[in-house]
Parts: sequence; C-alpha cells; structure tokens
Amino acid sequence: MIGEITFGQYYPGSSVLHRADPRIKLITSFWLIVVIFVCKNFFSLGIIALTAIITSLVSRVPMKMILKSLKPIVIILIFTAILNIFYTQGGATYWEWWKIKVTEKGVNTAIFTMIRIISLVVISSILTYTTTPTALTDGLERVLSPLKVFKIKVHTLAMMMTLALRFIPTLIREIERIMNAQKARGADLETGGILQRAKALVPIFIPLMVSSFRRAYELALAMTCRCYTGGEGRTRMKQMKVSFRDIVLILYCTAATAGIIILNIFFEAVI
Amino acid sequence: MSYVIEAKGLSHCYSKGTNQQVYAVKDIDFSVEKGELIGIIGHTGSGKSTLISHFNGLLKPSSGQILVNGTDIWKDKETLHNSRFQVGLCFQYPEYQLFEETVFRDIAFGPKNMKLSENEIKERVLRAADYAGVKKEHLDKSPFDLSGGEKRRAAIAGVMAMEPEVIIFDEPAAGLDPKGRKDLIKLIRDYRERTGSAIIIVSHSMEDMASLADRIYVMNGGEIAMQGTVDEVYSQGEKLRSMGLNVPEITEIFASLRAKGIDVPANVYTVEQGTEILKKLMGRCSS
Ligand SMILES: Nc1ncnc2c1ncn2[C@@H]1O[C@H](COP(=O)(O)OP(=O)(O)OP(=O)(O)O)[C@@H](O)[C@H]1O
Ligand SMILES: [Mg+2]
Repeated sequence: MIGEITFGQYYPGSSVLHRADPRIKLITSFWLIVVIFVCKNFFSLGIIALTAIITSLVSRVPMKMILKSLKPIVIILIFTAILNIFYTQGGATYWEWWKIKVTEKGVNTAIFTMIRIISLVVISSILTYTTTPTALTDGLERVLSPLKVFKIKVHTLAMMMTLALRFIPTLIREIERIMNAQKARGADLETGGILQRAKALVPIFIPLMVSSFRRAYELALAMTCRCYTGGEGRTRMKQMKVSFRDIVLILYCTAATAGIIILNIFFEAVI
Repeated sequence: MSYVIEAKGLSHCYSKGTNQQVYAVKDIDFSVEKGELIGIIGHTGSGKSTLISHFNGLLKPSSGQILVNGTDIWKDKETLHNSRFQVGLCFQYPEYQLFEETVFRDIAFGPKNMKLSENEIKERVLRAADYAGVKKEHLDKSPFDLSGGEKRRAAIAGVMAMEPEVIIFDEPAAGLDPKGRKDLIKLIRDYRERTGSAIIIVSHSMEDMASLADRIYVMNGGEIAMQGTVDEVYSQGEKLRSMGLNVPEITEIFASLRAKGIDVPANVYTVEQGTEILKKLMGRCSS
C-alpha cells in the first residue's frame, strides 16, 4: 500500500533529462509551471500539453509511470471539473434544468483547468522521476542560495530535506517491522471503531518515535564525528556544470513560452 | 505423532506481479512436533525470517498451507487471530517493540489481547518475567530505563506471557556479548524444561544450535537444503560450506587433530564436549 505512491519518486535512467543539471531542471520546471497559468486560450494551452508530452517522451520514463503519478489527483480533477461546470456561467447555454445551467464558459473552464492541472503534475513528476532526491535538494540549495541575503539558512533547510527524503523508506520499513512485532502479540489493528483503532496505534507509534529519536541522535553524532558544521566552507563531491544540453533545455522552454505568448495575442482568450 | 506446526508446499513471493518479484521461500515442507526444539540455519537472505513469519499468519502463503494443531490458520479470521497466541513469535531485536509505561504493563500486552481476566494476566506476567529472567524490581520501571540486555529479556517475557504452544526466536542472541549469549541459551533451555513447549530458533551460530536443537533445517536460496539431527547435518561439512555456512570451530579443530593421526571422534560440535574428550585424552597420555 505505502509502496505504491509514485509521485515524487526517482525512476533510474540515462536520458538527456536524467543527465541535465538539476538547477536548470528546477528552474525550467518552475518556469513551465508558471507558463501554464499564462495560457489564455486552447491554442496556447495546446502548446503546454504538447510540451508536457514531448518532455515525457524525451525523459524515457514509461508512460505507465507517468499515468500512475496522476492517479492520486483523479478525485481532485473530477471535483474541480464539476465545480467549474456548474459555477462558471456565461456564453451559450448547452443544457438547463430547474436552476442548474451548463454553459459554454463553464465547460471551457472545466476542460481548461483539467488540462492545466494534468500538465502541472506531469511536468513536476518528470522532474522528480529524472532527478535523484539528493540532486534535487542539492540543486534547490543552489537555486535558493541568493536568499542567504535575507539571513535564510538555505543550506540547513536543504540538508533537512535531504535527510527527510533519505529516511522515508527507512521509516516505512521500521513501521512494518513494529507492526509485525505487535501483531505477533495479538494486537488487533483492523477492527473496532475510530477511537479503538486510534488507541491500537499507540503500540506502534511509541516504538516508532523512540527509534526515530535514536536514529536522529546517532545520525547527528555521526555527522559531528565527520566534522559537519553546517554550510560554511563546504565543498561538493559532485560539481554542477551547465553544459550544452542544459542550454538546449532553456532554449526549448523559451521556444514554448514564445509560442504561447504569440498564440495568446493572436487568438481570443477563453478564460 | 501430532504436529504443532506443519507447513505443506509453502511458497512465498514478495512484490508479486511487479518486475521485482522474488520467491523468498519455495515449496517448503516443515514440521514441528510437540515439545521439540528445532533449529533453522541458513545464509543471509535464505528466507528464514520469511518462513517463520508464516507460522503465525503474519504473511500469507502464495501457495501451500500452514497447519497449527492440524487446522489451516487461514481458514477464517478467528483461527488466524488465535494462531497468534498459539505460536509466539519473537523477532530479531525484540527490544524495539517495547512501548508501555512500565515493564509489567508491556509484558501484559499479549495476555490482555487474549482477553484474559486481571488475575490470570497478573499471574502470567509474573511467571513470564521469571522464565525470562526479568528482575522483580524492574517490573515497575519504564522499559526505556533498562539496559539493552534487560530490555531484550522484557520483550521476550512479553511473548512468553501468552504461553504459546510453540515459541519462535529469530536470532535471539543477535548483538549480545558472549556472556549474554550464553545466558540467553540457558534461559531458552530452562524455559523448555519448565514448560515443555516446542521451540524454533533461527540462528547463525552453528555451535549454539549443536547444543540446543533436536532437529535442524538448513535453508539455502529459499529452499530446505538439508534436515535431520545435529549429527546428520553437521557431518556433511562440505555441503554446509558450499551454502556459505560452516561447521563449529571446535569440530574443525578435531578434524585437524584426526588428520594428524590422533584418535578423536569426528562428531564433536560444542566446546564442552571437546573439553571433556581432551581431558580424557590428556589423562591417558600422562598416566
Ligand atoms: N518485505 C520484503 N519485500 C521484498 N523482498 C523481501 C522482503 N523481505 C525479505 N525479502 C527478500 O526475501 C529474501 C529472504 O529474506 P529473509 O528476510 O527471509 O532472509 P533471512 O534468511 O531471514 O536473512 P537474515 O539471516 O539476513 O535475517 C531476501 O532475498 C530478501 O531480499
Ligand atoms: Mg532474518
């Protein structure tokens, strides 16, 4: 059950996108996501959808994996579509019954929003599918480093994120282990009302907390022993270099953005 | 003879249907008689923990059957739940399962889940604490204030308190010093003598097994590679080595003595046995 969550997972590969600089990937993903909201008509939206499709093909991540990342948001998609259809009013009326009216504008907005959300999730999943968590946080640290001016401890935040990501699988395994141990003593986790089930979690939660603190303590000790003192003066094992493929990536996003702006100007806005 | 636990054609496959599916155990036949002490040995990753997790229904077999006292434990929910109390399972590093405010209450967790009366629970806790060597004055302490070895005893008592017909220990001595190891083995042996319950031990230590087990199963690559008495298994040193296992050091010493032409028996598996024989031998030489 827990193992099935794919959103935010790395999919090993060696495509151009896998090898691209994480900083550039972060910036271009963010850029494309902003551009999604710049689209004003179906033509410019088409370009975004096309960009998302091309990018996923280039990433060589199987379509199945990309569709899987959409699974958790199906309910949100349906919900927003329904809300949009019934609440946005305007233009020709397609269907009417009592006080409920389905109009052209409602349908357009619904489709528009759906494509926007899907593109957003696809683009961000491609980012996480093609970038290891460590590279991602490393890149994030670099991208955000200008914030140091405002006394924000970017390095510390990035390190915290790296560690959190690193320990998710460990914690999942730990939970499984503790659950098995308590089940072996006859703990019943599946039956009873809400209160009873919440109570049944205590024997799992407490050992989990204890071992998490122990782990955190040991990790802190290990880091101190290796002279970790925070971000000051730290060098990196993996140097990031912007290469030709990163420039291509930027040009690709620029082209998509230009196309969208032109289509926004030439065609009438629907939203 | 009736079996307490019997596995027939048991197979288990992890992550079935994905590209990572592996058969952790394959087509295993396994049986434990009443009061028997069974040892399971095998290389890391040979499927020992997977196998024993089937005996109280924590894992569901992909194919095959698990019978506890002749009943298939997957017959219905009730049987499954009860199997947890008939077969006590003590995992590797059991001290990480402690959670209650006091040691007493933690040991009582199992019996409480069995819905026993207050008096019965209290009796069982005291009895189990005695079996596992948990000191009386520790019972009112927080389990987190005990030392590592004491925590382990408390956790073991928590399983013993359910008074199961079979108790399974997965690597009970892992991470203990030699004395702790010895004490634990004595504890298991005493428990067996006092309760007559059947015991299954998973261990890497060939020597501990030699002194404890009635019968031994050797696992390799998810299958039972060998089974039999200590003598039957340990006499096949070559085969054991091919599976990444080894005969006890003392056996090797005696083998090299034999190779030097000294007349000593080949079936020596524990240091105690060895010392006895050497003493006799030296006595003969000096006289
Ligand atoms: N939850 C799991 N998901 C997938 N594979 C698993 C899981 N648990 C174990 N395995 C695999 O099953 C095989 C058997 O594992 P198991 O834990 O039963 O070995 P073991 O004999 O107990 O080893 P050890 O002596 O190290 O404890 C291993 O190859 C392991 O990688
Ligand atoms: Mg194991």
